[in-house]
Amino acid sequence: MAKTPVMDGLISRTVERHLPWSVHVDLTYRCNERCIHCYLDHEDHGEMKTDEIKNVLEQLAQSGTLFLTLSGGEIFLRDDLFELLEFARSLHFDISLKTNALLIDAERARKLRALSVRRIQISIYSAEPAVHDAITKVRGSLERTLTAIRFLQAEGLQVKIACPLMKQNLMAYRNVQALAAELGVPYVLDMTITPKMDGDMSLLQLRNPAQDLLPILQDPTLNPPSSSQDSAQEAPLTTGSATSSGIESQAYEDIPCSAGHNSCYISPYGEVFPCVQMPVATGNLRQQRFEEIWFKSPEMERVRAVRESQLPVCSKCSIRQYCERCPGLAQMEGGDLLGAYERACDLAELKAGLAGVQNPISALHAQKPNTKGLCSIPSLVATPAVQAGSN
Amino acid sequence: MKGYIVRNPKLAWREVDGEMVIISPEDSQVHELNETASLIWKHADGRSLEEIAERISTEYEVSLEAARADIGELVTTLEQKQLVFVATEVKG
Repeated sequence: MAKTPVMDGLISRTVERHLPWSVHVDLTYRCNERCIHCYLDHEDHGEMKTDEIKNVLEQLAQSGTLFLTLSGGEIFLRDDLFELLEFARSLHFDISLKTNALLIDAERARKLRALSVRRIQISIYSAEPAVHDAITKVRGSLERTLTAIRFLQAEGLQVKIACPLMKQNLMAYRNVQALAAELGVPYVLDMTITPKMDGDMSLLQLRNPAQDLLPILQDPTLNPPSSSQDSAQEAPLTTGSATSSGIESQAYEDIPCSAGHNSCYISPYGEVFPCVQMPVATGNLRQQRFEEIWFKSPEMERVRAVRESQLPVCSKCSIRQYCERCPGLAQMEGGDLLGAYERACDLAELKAGLAGVQNPISALHAQKPNTKGLCSIPSLVATPAVQAGSN
Repeated sequence: MKGYIVRNPKLAWREVDGEMVIISPEDSQVHELNETASLIWKHADGRSLEEIAERISTEYEVSLEAARADIGELVTTLEQKQLVFVATEVKG
């Protein structure tokens, strides 16, 4: 999505000051779906209790966190969810939720509205029940999720559809697009399938080969409309939109992403990571204060010190501008936070080819003998911007 | 200067470098207040506008009349954006 000047300025300031203004907290790994691509184990290994989470929220508010994303697992499996939401609102957080919505009824939608939850992101894998339900492994789940979306919309809440794409639903993105249009909600396609958090790589077999993503990369309808609502005004008050992902901000020009700079992830067990996709343990809130971990953890400082211009392989890559390398996935899949993330190399070659670059080969593939770049594209169209997100 | 000022309870907000950043959950609009508007926001907890004018007059070493004028203008802007409400009396 487009950046906005107000958000861009705020992102720059929070990155410069290392202000943890966007924090993702998983309240549980338990879930009432069994999605085939899920990276979690669905067990409760000792989740933080209500008071522990409240304490964490207080610390985050004191540290300057504004954007709070509560996710899981399925957050509505926590009996104390509304107590936690009420507490979070008393601390003036901007609250977004990620849920499969199976447990949202009219009454719960009304309560979410009353608590001024800003946005609810819901995963939908296809508009066809057979495809969606086969991925969630819960019969009737699409119908229940769509019913819940209508309850949320009836309350005027902002819903966003997330559609992770895997082999089982690659071309379903078109009917998800149509569904989103019918519902009048934004959507995001997510081409990221990650290893399990315990390092199990078996889920990667669900991932579409990069070449199979060409129809998506070439689909001109995937150019998202600008969400910029900026009306640059004179002081004392300037206005922008909070819907920007912010990732386009110039503040991120030489750093890989926001992880550890102005955002982080907290697990149901109190562990703090730079990002949900970056398995670099930096501390545990059951033993340490948040600010101690955020500002003093050597691991957090190591992540924070990474500069793209100093990456041993990627800094030399001629098609870097087409690359969306994820340092966390580079660590997870390649074992090196500073290394190339080959999936990103594959996609960058495709995108560069679509943009007209002749024989695009990433630095990683160029240095590997007998490895060719992926791209051999007969007819090219303008490169659309497919936004990647997390599920 | 008559009236009492309260924040819109639906809003999310945090102070960044002494300035308030406010988000409306209904339309995802982000508002950034300058130092003076931020001061008004911080005190918008049911206090009277006169009390806030006195505070700003002292803090910024300006006359009470000048503070009242500034506040009147700023509060009108904040009210138009539905960031604050001005009441003739404090409830509860």
